[in-house]
Amino acid sequence: MQDNSSALLPSGLVDLLPPEAAAEAEAIHSLVGTFESFGYQRVKPPLAEFEECLFAPGPGQAVASETFRLMDPLSRKMMALRSDATPQITRIARSRLASEPRPLRLAYAVEVLRVKGTQLRSEREFLKVGCELIGSADMEADIEVAVLAISGLHRLGIRGLTIDLALPPLVGKIYGMYAVGAEDARAFDEALERRDRDFLKQHGAPAAVVLEALLEATGPMDRALERLAKIDLPEAVRGYVSALSTIADRVRRALGELGMDDVCVTVDPVERRGFDYHTGYAFALFSEKVRGELGRGGRYEFAGGGETATGFTLYMDTLRRVLPPVARREIRRVDASVSWAEIREMQESGAVVVREFGKENE
Amino acid sequence: MNNRPFAVTNIAMQSNSRKLILAVPKGRILKEVLPLLNACGIEPEEAFSDEDSRLLQFRTNRPELDIIRVRAFDVATFVAFGGAQLGVVGKDVLDEFDYPELYAPIDLGIGGCRLSVAMTEEAAAEDDPSRWSHVRVATKYPNLTRKHFEARGVQAECIKLNGAMEIAPKLGLARRIVDLVSSGATLKANGMVEMEKIMDVTSRLIVNRTALKTRPEDVGAWIEAFRKAVNEQR
Repeated sequence: MQDNSSALLPSGLVDLLPPEAAAEAEAIHSLVGTFESFGYQRVKPPLAEFEECLFAPGPGQAVASETFRLMDPLSRKMMALRSDATPQITRIARSRLASEPRPLRLAYAVEVLRVKGTQLRSEREFLKVGCELIGSADMEADIEVAVLAISGLHRLGIRGLTIDLALPPLVGKIYGMYAVGAEDARAFDEALERRDRDFLKQHGAPAAVVLEALLEATGPMDRALERLAKIDLPEAVRGYVSALSTIADRVRRALGELGMDDVCVTVDPVERRGFDYHTGYAFALFSEKVRGELGRGGRYEFAGGGETATGFTLYMDTLRRVLPPVARREIRRVDASVSWAEIREMQESGAVVVREFGKENE
Repeated sequence: MNNRPFAVTNIAMQSNSRKLILAVPKGRILKEVLPLLNACGIEPEEAFSDEDSRLLQFRTNRPELDIIRVRAFDVATFVAFGGAQLGVVGKDVLDEFDYPELYAPIDLGIGGCRLSVAMTEEAAAEDDPSRWSHVRVATKYPNLTRKHFEARGVQAECIKLNGAMEIAPKLGLARRIVDLVSSGATLKANGMVEMEKIMDVTSRLIVNRTALKTRPEDVGAWIEAFRKAVNEQR
């Protein structure tokens, strides 16, 4: 066997070949087009920046552990290669675009690099495409980004979509209200993570009773919201939870108006996985045709709590697996003697023109 | 092939995409799983109970559900990666992999045993745990073993074996083993004593996270069926 070890790539890094590379580029173009039509303007931050800027409190802190670092030989300071786009967008928003009127709508399509792959995503480099809506606490902002994310996916022809609405800070608030100790909190976390209702039932503490009821109020929107409404929640979180119902309702209504009734809306008030820095309503996007999430989004704060924002990101590596096949374009092979003007004419009528000539120098 | 008792041949022709797959472990737990399946209204085709059958995927009386029979460790992996949507697996395997994509909503109350550290009788007699900084352990559960010893400040060097752990100390692989213990008879027969329990183990119903999110009705209905069956048997 021929030794091909010079072609070996580090784990988690891959070459994209035809036609996948083109399919991905086209999908990005379509997604960004959808976002731009809602007034989201494209930004392009650099691949690397100083780590102290990138890991600012908020979205930056959450990704620090999965980020590659290297020493900048020029400044002798530590640089980080981005592992997420959101920290960079928030840096831009609080610095160079600080005086822009709010709400600020920004879109991006950038590659990220991670120290380690995960169980479902062995890729260490992949593309993230997303939007950030900065500087509005209005519920309409939460609804807009959710609808925008689904619209983008739907327009790509991805079907079997589910949007799962979550409220990541809720569990922590309940721990606070019932003064749950650190040890119980760890046990509850694990039970919630594994959906272990029996553990909560046997535990029996007031907080466990509420958590068990919340665990039951997950799944298809109507049933989940109905159960959620019946739970005797502490006064302080009730408003919070009822707003979730409103958001779910309006998202579904929007999907109906847009002819996307096939999208399944589910609610999961105890889901926190992947929502490390989120401070409000959040959502994850799934397709039944692929394992893992297509994307994720939600509300967060940055600049020391000074600014609120909501947004979402789509993972192109997962998304690529559910893209419908690219339409084949007609290929016309012509002799190299055909005039360039003629070739342009054929191209303008939609054909791909391949000029034919020999392999050797004449 | 034509003596299959169910009139659902056309279903098998369809792809697996809409079908749900339940992964169950071979061996010890299988006998305890069967009554539970029956209580849920699931009757696997005959070949399923035939240990010699070379089939890997079995149909059931429910056209929307197939069963696969694989090694216990592989049950967790099949379900975590979405190859199967539902599975039955011990808490030992669940915690060993700690796959983030798995939900474990129900304690099925079967396959009860414990995961323990054991040593040969002679070694145990002269052992002083307070002086440990490093131990060598033969086990099927390197992650759980490492975690267990790390919590007491001891580094565990694990030798991964896939079975017959009890023979390892005798042949000088390691002085300790970490393995499942139910009656303790196997340990005793090999001149070993159980030193400490790491955890109690029972089997759980596990569910793939994406499957529950994208098909909440179908998958949720099975979770409820298992919950009902378990409650009835208690």
